[in-house]
Amino acid sequence: MKLLAWLADCIDAVNEAIGRAVSWLSLAVVLVTFIVVVMRYVFGLGSLYLQHSIIYLNAIVFLMAAGWALKDNEHVRVDIFYAKASPRHQAMIDLAGVLIFLLPFCALVWITAWPYVLASWRTLEGSLEIAGLPGVFLFKSFMLVYVALLALQGVSMAARAILTIAGVAPKTAAASPTTGVL
Amino acid sequence: MTTGEWLSIAMMIGVFLFLATGFPVAFTLTGAALFFALLGYSMDAFSLTFLGLTANRVFAVMSNEILIAVPLYVYMGIMLERSKVAEQLLETMGQLFGPIRGGLGVSVCVVGGLLGASSGIVGATVMAMGLISLPVMLRRGYDPAHTCGLIAATGTLGQIIPPSIVLVVLGDQISNANVQAQRALGKFSVDPVSVGDLMAGAVFPGLLLVLLYILWQLFLAWRWPNSAPAVPRDELGGVTGIALFWRVLQSLVAPLVLLLAVLGSTFAGIATPTESAAVGAVGAIALGGLHVAGGRRWLILIGIVCSLLLVVLTTMVDLRVGRSVTTIEQDIAIAFAVVCCIGVGVGLLDAMRHLHRKGMLVSVARTTTKISAMAFTIVIAAQIFSLVFRGLGGDDLVHSFLTELPGGKWAAIGLVMLVMFILGFALDFLEITFIVVPLVAPPLLGMGVDPVWLAIMMAVNLQTEFLTPPFGFALFYMRAVAPPSITTMQIYRGVVPFVILQLVGLGFVAAFPGLATWLPKLIYG
Repeated sequence: MKLLAWLADCIDAVNEAIGRAVSWLSLAVVLVTFIVVVMRYVFGLGSLYLQHSIIYLNAIVFLMAAGWALKDNEHVRVDIFYAKASPRHQAMIDLAGVLIFLLPFCALVWITAWPYVLASWRTLEGSLEIAGLPGVFLFKSFMLVYVALLALQGVSMAARAILTIAGVAPKTAAASPTTGVL
Repeated sequence: MTTGEWLSIAMMIGVFLFLATGFPVAFTLTGAALFFALLGYSMDAFSLTFLGLTANRVFAVMSNEILIAVPLYVYMGIMLERSKVAEQLLETMGQLFGPIRGGLGVSVCVVGGLLGASSGIVGATVMAMGLISLPVMLRRGYDPAHTCGLIAATGTLGQIIPPSIVLVVLGDQISNANVQAQRALGKFSVDPVSVGDLMAGAVFPGLLLVLLYILWQLFLAWRWPNSAPAVPRDELGGVTGIALFWRVLQSLVAPLVLLLAVLGSTFAGIATPTESAAVGAVGAIALGGLHVAGGRRWLILIGIVCSLLLVVLTTMVDLRVGRSVTTIEQDIAIAFAVVCCIGVGVGLLDAMRHLHRKGMLVSVARTTTKISAMAFTIVIAAQIFSLVFRGLGGDDLVHSFLTELPGGKWAAIGLVMLVMFILGFALDFLEITFIVVPLVAPPLLGMGVDPVWLAIMMAVNLQTEFLTPPFGFALFYMRAVAPPSITTMQIYRGVVPFVILQLVGLGFVAAFPGLATWLPKLIYG
């Protein structure tokens, strides 16, 4: 049980660190896009490199932060029943959900993305368009990082659920979502 | 019907049961889809090649340029929320309208409309207004149920008043559907529909809704004066005349400048939605910087002046540098523009420095990142769900059902609206947009429905779903900020008239399609 708690803590720490780090890229997306706007509309200069870097940055942000968002309970739930359930009941839903929904989702993306990414690595696939930013094979690899981090966080979620069900650790009150687009 | 088609129906129903468990929607959607895919496979009704497309779909989401506007608008909205623009606006508008009967309610409508036009994040708007206006209005004797309903409803206006995230994702999906529909009709030169078209199309319907809300508030105040009393002027801080005029002007400057920057650049047809969203986000950084900088704001002000000069210069002189022949005047102007750019850069850096010192730069970026991760995960999940639905033959089922419906075009549209409305009780706009729109839009557009009009109808419908009890998100936020003395049932009851007003608005757009289609035609030809 101690091992389980330690594992969950480790995973949480990893996703927290990654999430905090990639948050800076969110700001970078804003600034780089603004630079593109100024260059294009004031000076008539277009840069495919910069444009593609926006796509890369944005995708890297959401792909790498998905595990972090899961950790902080930021993924939307339909919680009319869930919110009223006891911590133990919630833990059971979380555990079952991870096993039945989350991990199969990660497995599906991983299984289909693996050959897809591999093929891209084999040819060292260049860029999204001719003369664009190179390194699409690296970019595509983030798909695997995405599901790996999500699956890891799923394991942490399951571990905490098991601890709660076993009555070892009280379910730490999950942070409620701060703000939503939704 | 084939086994697959039966399964596709079962999948739609099954997913609701799974969602009710309360596990995060994105993973539940894909989990349920996988379950039915494997079930279908075991019954020879589903080919696994459909699942093989998953990686392509994920990559398509990763490299989608239009959707980048979503995190940018989120960034802008969160930054504005933290810079207390809403608070300032509510205070001055309250002083302006307070002295008339129902005036505080009217000021909430006006501020909701303005905030909607500058950022439009439902949660942020509802919470800000709920925290500031609700206590004041309750103390003044406004009817609690009505007040909660009003604030929740006004908070959702941001989803229809451009620029809005709903319009961005709808635009993305409708333009795909439009291409598909026109190809199916054998046309190969497609009239494209852009996010910009939708933004323009939503202007009048959005204003119409604000107007309906205001009229409703005034009607209530006239019919039942005690439900919305006037507030004596001297109790509102005693600001009158010129001083009040100045305050109103001051509080309006920020949102209006942002509005001009974002919508102006979209409607001028120069910037893509992503680009204008970035302009808005940078504008929000500047405003946030001004808010926290206190007395040391001159660098930011210089930056703002420089950016205005840049706009003026760009419209007056050809500044493109890649040309072989330029006149002396143009060279000077270009040099001046470079200086302005440096000024903008310095101002922006200074704004960010101030924000960073208060911890806002970090917190806004983190919140944006989480919301972005959540939203894109839902988009990816919805793609997988759609793949399976299509693999089971659900696509064809919906298509033939809609086209063969007795009553033709209008019956089909009515049914789609109804289904979207009902789905809205459990799903939010992202899932509905990415699952339902690609299913129903191609057949509808194939019947000759105007794509912009259809999208605006859908947008009003989706916006209404933020309000419908018990799952409307605006209601959750309202509940979170309302005092315990107000019951959840009161909030639900208060919101009912506004749901009806929404339907009235929808009826107007249906009866007068020009409301949605006139402006886009005028702007984009």
